[in-house]
Amino acid sequence: MSAAAPRAPAPSVVFDPVTAEVIRGALETVAFEMATHVSLTATTPILNQSNERNATILDGRGRLAALSVGIPQFMLSSTLPVRFALDFFDQEGLHDGDVLVANDPYHGGGHLPDYNVFSPVLVDGRIALIASIQCHHADTGGGMPGGYNAEAIDVWAEGVRFPAVKVVDQGVERRDVLYMMKVNNRTPTFMGDLRAQIGAAQLGAKRLRELIAHYGVASVLHAVDHAIAYAARRFREEVASWPDGVYEADAFVDHDPVGNKDIRVHVRVTVQGDHLRVDFTGSDERQDLKAYSSFGNTRGYVVAQLATMMDPSIPKNEGFFDSIELIVPKGCCLNPSEGKTVAAGTHHPGVEVGEAIAKAMAVVLPERSCPQIYKLGMPTVIFGTHPETGQIFVDHSVDCLAAYCNAVKGQDGWGSMPASFGNLIRATAEINESIFPVRHECCDYATDTGGAGQWRGCPGSRVVKRVTAPAAVSTYMVGMKYPMSGVAGGRDGSPNRLIVRVGTEHAAHVACMANGVPHAAGEAFEYVYGGGGGWGDPLDRDPQCVLEDVLDEYVSAEAAEREYGVVLRGSAASGDLRLDREATEALRTANRRNP
Amino acid sequence: MGFRIGIDVGGTFTDFVLARPGGELVLSKVPTTLADQSLGVMQGLSALAAKEGLATRALLEATELVVHGTTTADNTLIEMNGAKVGLLTTEGHRDEIEIRRGYKEEIWDPAFPPPVPIAKRRHRFGIPERLDFRGNVVRKLDEEAVRTAVRRLRRDGIESIAVSFLFSFVNPSHELRARELIRQEHPDARVSLSHEVMPTAPEFERTSTTLVDAYVGPRVQTYLERLERALQEAGYRHDLLLMQSSGAIMTAAFLAGKAVAALGSGPTGGVMGACAAAQTAGVSDFIAIDMGGTSYEVCVVRKGRPTIKSFWNWQQRYLIGLPMVEMHAIGAGGGSIANVQAGALHVGPKSAKAEPGPICYGRGGVEPTVTDANVVLGYLNPEALCGGEFKLVSAGVRQAIAERIGKPLGLDVVEAAHGIFRIVNANMANAIRRVSSQAGLDPREFALVVYGGNGPVHAGKQAEELGIRKMLVPKTSPAFSALGLLIADYGVDLQRSYISPSGRASPGRIAELFREMQAQAESELRVAGLGPQDLELRRYLNLCYPGQTFDMSVPLAVSSVGGEIGAATLAATVAAFHDLHEELHTYAVREEEPILRSVRLQAAGRTPKPMVRRCPRLSTPVVEAVRSRRPAWFDGRFVDTPVYDGDRLGFGHRLAGPAIVEERFTTLVLYPGHTAELDEHGNYVVTVA
Repeated sequence: MSAAAPRAPAPSVVFDPVTAEVIRGALETVAFEMATHVSLTATTPILNQSNERNATILDGRGRLAALSVGIPQFMLSSTLPVRFALDFFDQEGLHDGDVLVANDPYHGGGHLPDYNVFSPVLVDGRIALIASIQCHHADTGGGMPGGYNAEAIDVWAEGVRFPAVKVVDQGVERRDVLYMMKVNNRTPTFMGDLRAQIGAAQLGAKRLRELIAHYGVASVLHAVDHAIAYAARRFREEVASWPDGVYEADAFVDHDPVGNKDIRVHVRVTVQGDHLRVDFTGSDERQDLKAYSSFGNTRGYVVAQLATMMDPSIPKNEGFFDSIELIVPKGCCLNPSEGKTVAAGTHHPGVEVGEAIAKAMAVVLPERSCPQIYKLGMPTVIFGTHPETGQIFVDHSVDCLAAYCNAVKGQDGWGSMPASFGNLIRATAEINESIFPVRHECCDYATDTGGAGQWRGCPGSRVVKRVTAPAAVSTYMVGMKYPMSGVAGGRDGSPNRLIVRVGTEHAAHVACMANGVPHAAGEAFEYVYGGGGGWGDPLDRDPQCVLEDVLDEYVSAEAAEREYGVVLRGSAASGDLRLDREATEALRTANRRNP
Repeated sequence: MGFRIGIDVGGTFTDFVLARPGGELVLSKVPTTLADQSLGVMQGLSALAAKEGLATRALLEATELVVHGTTTADNTLIEMNGAKVGLLTTEGHRDEIEIRRGYKEEIWDPAFPPPVPIAKRRHRFGIPERLDFRGNVVRKLDEEAVRTAVRRLRRDGIESIAVSFLFSFVNPSHELRARELIRQEHPDARVSLSHEVMPTAPEFERTSTTLVDAYVGPRVQTYLERLERALQEAGYRHDLLLMQSSGAIMTAAFLAGKAVAALGSGPTGGVMGACAAAQTAGVSDFIAIDMGGTSYEVCVVRKGRPTIKSFWNWQQRYLIGLPMVEMHAIGAGGGSIANVQAGALHVGPKSAKAEPGPICYGRGGVEPTVTDANVVLGYLNPEALCGGEFKLVSAGVRQAIAERIGKPLGLDVVEAAHGIFRIVNANMANAIRRVSSQAGLDPREFALVVYGGNGPVHAGKQAEELGIRKMLVPKTSPAFSALGLLIADYGVDLQRSYISPSGRASPGRIAELFREMQAQAESELRVAGLGPQDLELRRYLNLCYPGQTFDMSVPLAVSSVGGEIGAATLAATVAAFHDLHEELHTYAVREEEPILRSVRLQAAGRTPKPMVRRCPRLSTPVVEAVRSRRPAWFDGRFVDTPVYDGDRLGFGHRLAGPAIVEERFTTLVLYPGHTAELDEHGNYVVTVA
């Protein structure tokens, strides 16, 4: 079974830190190779070029040893399904050559579309390591196509659940099981994608066997311990550098898809020496919501948010995960009892987990408390019949646009979306207009949409899309009552605003859901995306920066005065825009007295 | 036949390769003059002439070809000190350059800063005008808006203006008219039109590329004019030629108008040099690795050619949508700094660079580097590098490694130095694994071609780690970048967007686009003195499956250039796309209708190559080349190791590890079990046992 690399030295049991570090690097490279294998072999083009795949190496106890990540928020829920399998099958039930599939949100998963595929590597009858790969699939069976059934009454209506199922048993494919999976999925490419994942897990297992043959199992497992201990040490060093205290915050979702309002996420973060407790007691406990975040999903968002608040070089392994004492009461909106719907909840209240933590920790970590989230609800989908082909087209509007980029201390918000989504590459006007009967008229930053602050939130885009053939527009919106939060005295970002059939007598603001709103050829919708929140008191912003912002039209002269207390004279057009320092000082002093 | 000279300006040294009329190659180096690179170039030429026993004028008058690789464009982008630039876009698309298709380089760091803007938002103007994807005018150009914007830019001291309108590559009339208006309102401004710089979709890539062209253009142009004048005044009578990022050369006059194509030409030259050297040894599938002071670059070469990539090429913080040789870099080099954090040893990516450099340079460096570790381990000559010209100091090296690395890890000084050595090797081997896995290949089936000052010290260990059996270290490797210049061909690589589901694409339109590109290629290469009969044309369709972000070039399925393009041609090319997709990505979706994104024409004009001169077989016993012996660390102990003088080794000599070869500009470490044989072209062919 093992394919030893040439010239394998006799495995030694000397645990030196250099060897441990070399093996740690090799494990991360194996994870990278697995993720790359999926990119190269997945058969859904849209999957193989997006980054919605996440490869991990775990040890025999299901502890995360190494990973290669695409988009953190979507992808940090992959260890718990493996642990369920370890419990369920026990040591005797898993063998070399096995490959398992799991996707169930009530057995460790995030939501049904995320399929985990993993394969154990055994040495002397014990599981040494596990290679695991998680991918997002376009369909899960169930009541509606697309794995995103906002109308589902329960999780069974959302799709087919696989808690932990062997699809390859000691190297032999289980045709019956694979066939059962095939017939329970609508998309013809599902099996191709699943096979790409199976191939990646097998490749990972093969590489891990080579590594064990080369270094010896004791050295490899020592290296895993070393890496986990290292991450834990680094994590605890960071926490120890934070002031002790209890930090609390709330974040809210406007409403779930059926209109249940003000879903509350409450966090209480306790820093005590080098110990960190994150407690969501007090979060919404209503049992009739349509959107819950599964425990795996909640845990993923906690880790993703904390990871961006620490030194980026700390490895994201079990040492990191395990150093967080996480309390999520069973039955609340972040850890629902079995059967509740979770597809929509993956996003909201899922993302509000990150927002609440960022708000709570702002005083402790001013330079890094930036919610790595979005207030999107659901992308704006445009669908109809293409006039030239007579076929259905669906434009998911993953367009070039800016939204939800908060500032942090020392850095204005910038670009498109928060840093964590930096791997998600967006579609462009020139490509999409050649394929869809839609014209991208505008995606410019909208002036004054970024939250004011000592550091300014990035503006959101004003997006105008005009259809050139009859089409319908669907979406679910949040972030209107509760836009991106300002931090440490910074102002909130602007709320989302969507007007369908803009400029016609049928123009209408979308309040919660739009279900296939028909647009005639030549009609448009206008979506002004919410800006990022500001950081710190706007009155503390350097007036020179405010002047620059006005010159660049991120901020209007009126808002400069109103929000920042900065008085300008002249105009940009005539080239004599300048600061009135005296008036600014006076206005700021007055504003500080009467906030 | 006259002399040919390749000149590559690097960060530290300017390298020269002179090909004598008889074919021998002469290597030389002078320090780079950073403020004005042309000074160092002219000084180096004088030195080269002196070596040949000629006056500079006599050498240059007898020179038929000077090919140059310059970092002027790269440095401008690194230092962000280019021209003051303004941008005109279609109204509503003013900010796409900041939105960057959503891309951010650091997904874990919310404090990561944005790129320095080439054109501030106040200098970017959305102009009312609009074309649809077929090039039909939906809204005509608002000329008054252009004039107003340009007056404003002129008022603000803008020197260079980029214009990037949507779908200008289908119908350039609005961009062309905008240039006329700019000339009227601001005659001194340099103008970069997106459809000329990069006539393809999508708009972010094209706008970014055009903006960079506008930014680096004035400096590149000034530099090239100055250098060309200096060469001509010194006696050179031909065109100055330049390496482009695509690996092909073009005239300086051409590059002055398309400065962005000069980006990355230095490393590209290196890969082309590696290709040339590998060819002499009969190696066509290999991984080229270049380990310098700061970075380690990996490039996969198949069938003698490096992969050319024309999408998602990030240079510094900007995207360049032009074809570039695909290189992957990590921060690993001789200057990479080692440190211990929370009980774990890390090496790089931070580098001590040339200043202060490693501790052993004696220029004030205090942090241990890879080079310092190599000195402690005996791999590098502890007294001097570069054949004795570059002195090293040993004071403080061992102490720093013991204190900063050994102590926190509980290792002695040699174990600590060996730890640094092993970590940097592992980082480099992992980099190769990643690159090869992305290319879907098994590194064991490839050879390593090794260059860069530090590459041959470490490469043997990477080969072992990866299971690679054969390694090539050419004696010319320290000057690969300059050598690559001499063997590159003329070339232009043109693309035109034509976006359509492949079944609905018009063969007539495709033929028309190819005719247009062929005319352009012929006119551009005419400047280099090449007629249509000298050109080798390759035509491609760029296709992808619906939903894919990036496309793939598929050779057009017609046998002869000029052959009619019809529906059958298209069908055959689409079939070839499915096959190629299956070959490279393991699957094809034959029931899907691929999308045509653009058409592409490569035109190459062959240059005469320097005659390859074979070395005579040396009959001197190899032991006579042993210069000295020193203890070096192999297999856990210091071994008394022979140190060979590279200048006394030649064709036919065989060495067995452990051994060290000191070439003038590099050191080859031969590990126990490895053997090396010198071939008739001056390549060390290393067999990794």
